[in-house]
This record gives sequence, structure tokens and C-alpha cells, in this order.
Amino acid sequence: MTHHKLALGWLGWLALSLSTPGIGAEAAPAGASSPVVSAVDPASIEALKKMGAHLQTLKRFQVRTELSSETVLDDGQKLQQSSSAEIQVQRPNQLRAMMWSARAVRELIYQDKTATLYTPALKYYATAEVADNIGGMIDQLEARYGVQVPLSDLFLWGTAAAPLDQIESAMNAGQDIIGRDLCDHYAFRQGKIDWQIWMTTGEAPLPRKLVITNRADEARPQSVSYLAWNLKPTFKDTVFKFTPPSDAQAIGIRPLNPR
Amino acid sequence: MQKSLSKLFLAPLGALLLASFALAPVADARERGGGGRQVSHDGGPRGGGRDLQVNNSRRDVRTNNVRNTSVNNVNVNRNVNVDVDRHGGWNNNYHPVATAAAVTATVAVTAAVVGSIVRSVPPNCSPYSYNGISYQRCGSTWYQPQYVGGDVQYVVINAPY
Repeated sequence: MTHHKLALGWLGWLALSLSTPGIGAEAAPAGASSPVVSAVDPASIEALKKMGAHLQTLKRFQVRTELSSETVLDDGQKLQQSSSAEIQVQRPNQLRAMMWSARAVRELIYQDKTATLYTPALKYYATAEVADNIGGMIDQLEARYGVQVPLSDLFLWGTAAAPLDQIESAMNAGQDIIGRDLCDHYAFRQGKIDWQIWMTTGEAPLPRKLVITNRADEARPQSVSYLAWNLKPTFKDTVFKFTPPSDAQAIGIRPLNPR
Repeated sequence: MQKSLSKLFLAPLGALLLASFALAPVADARERGGGGRQVSHDGGPRGGGRDLQVNNSRRDVRTNNVRNTSVNNVNVNRNVNVDVDRHGGWNNNYHPVATAAAVTATVAVTAAVVGSIVRSVPPNCSPYSYNGISYQRCGSTWYQPQYVGGDVQYVVINAPY
């Protein structure tokens, strides 16, 4: 009984504090005024620029990503799926991507002007002629065939393909720790997409975490990626050359808009 | 062949959507067959869990009721700065159209309408190569594998000979 009364008393206090500004613990101290902030914080945009410029200087590296993404069911319930990918990169025109999940294992091998898609379990592969640079390859694979390259953002930030002048809101969300790395956390809003990035603090910023929220759906499906970097990779250039296994078969790739 | 293939691509969109994709678990089963998942590449990354066997036979059918607005955004710049039709991310998630059409697709598989596309072929199929082109022959029904986006799918075709 005593407990019951206590609980009621606590609830009453809670209701009071919630309904009366200035009484709750969260209330701002008297005299403090929030600083005027613009929707787009210039320093946050600058941080993106700096990270993009740094990414463009990386010539040879390896990155692995662990991705959780969501699909929304008819009733708004969300399901989260897990996927992984690893890319090996040699700028300007060599890349190998391996993608694996419970749904599929796939590879993309790109060298010079040739991109090859390979599905190991089926032993099928397809080749497409593409641009002689990674950014162009990414753009063409998606535009022509609807093929998305994992971690493509890494090659677009710091280029004209990732304009920053359309961002409607940008803010510094403080610092956070991802794995063992101290990171600066930024949040952006553009159109129906909200996104957040955690980049390592310092002069050589690398993205360590990325969150994308789709506001076009009221359930707001979200994807979360953790990136692990290796800037001194040990892979050899042979990884960029696709030699089909003897029992593999070449098949076609369907253009998005065949004419 | 090229000519007839391009004709196939022009199959009415409705039929294509209805028949585009079979149930994802079926696709999983297909990929487990034969060569399995053990792949070795010189110097290639070793994916964790690549040798694991996935069994989705107990998955609730309600997980297929994905709404049309469910869009998988996994890359920032391709989503905010490029005005192109989204085809799902690299992570091969269940496509909204795919899952909405899943039940219909199984019917389409049975009917094997020429020009329709499925994500997997029935278990009784065997690979067949003719004039340098790869097919899957399943009784009297022929499929031609092709990449659609990053995934292999199969177009129902007329017998090649």
C-alpha cells in the first residue's frame, strides 16, 4: 500500500514536471539563452569537405563494412537485415568488391575499362565495358544496369558527384567513440533523407559509421553501416584481374532501359 | 539470339512485374546447390560466414509483405544527389516489387510464360550450353540466366533449337 502511494506521488510529480516548463530537471538554467544557429552549420559542411579531400588522396586501401538495413512491412513493422562487404582499391581504375549475406554472395571485379559481376554459387559471370576510373564506373553501373557498388560514397565525397550545396540542414552532434576511435559526429538533412556520419577526429578523417534514414516512409527505415579501414593493405594486384574458373559460364547483363 | 533477347526485354511491364521474382528462400536454396559457397580466390577477401548454410524454411510468410514505400538507402550520395530509379542497395534486400509479386510469381513459374523472369529455377533443371549461350533446361521449359542489377535471374525463353 505504501509502495502504491509512493508510486502515485512519483507519477504526480512527473506529470507536474512535464507539464510545467522550468521545473523539470532538463530545464535550462535561468539567464542562459540558446545561441542562434543556422540550419546549415558551415563547420559541418567544412568537415565533410575535409573528409572528402582526404578520401580522394587515398590510393590503395581496403575497407570492410557491416551493414544493417531495414525493410518495412505493410503494417509498418520493420525487419532488419544484415549484410557485409569488403572492397579492395587501387586508384584510379582498379577495384574488387565482395558482398555477402544470407541472401547472396557476389563479387565485382573492376580493372581498366572492364567490370565483371560474378556469383560464385552459380558460377555465372557477366562483363560490362565501363569508364576508366572508379567514379565513372560506379555511375555507369548504376545508371545503365542498376548495379550498386558497396561503399560508393567513399569515391563520391570530395568530387562534383557529391555536391554539398543542396544540404538543407547540417549540425555537429558532438563526439562519439566507434570501436577504439574518437569520432566527430555530424547530422545532415537533404530532401527525404536524413543522414549521420561519424568520422575519425583529426587531420586525416575517415568515415567509421554511417546512418541513413528514409523519411519518405512514415516508418522511417534506416540503414546503419560500420566501416573498418586498412590503409596498408597486403593484397596483390592480381585480385583485380578476373580469371573465370574453368566451369564458370558467361551470361548477359540486362540494361535498365533496353531499346 | 541477341535480337530475340532484346525482344524479350520488351515484354509487357505488367507481366514482367508479376513474374519477376520468385520467393527469396527458393533463391537461397538454389544458390546452395551444386558448387556451394566455398570459393577461393587468390588474395581475395575472406568473407566471414561464407561457408555457412542458411535455412529459411521456417521463415514466416508475413515477412514477404513489404510495402511499396520501403526503400533501402545504403549509400548517401546515390540517394540524395542522383535522380534515378532506386533498385535497392548492393545488399540485395528484398525488393518491394519482388516480394509483393512473390505469390503471383510461383504461379508464373508453373505457367512458364515466355518472357517472364524468375529469381530461381525449379529443382529439376540442368545447365545446358548451346551455341555458346548458357541455358537452364527444365523439362520442356527453357530459361536463360542473365544479370538483372547485381543478381542472376532467369528469363523464360522459347526452346533455342
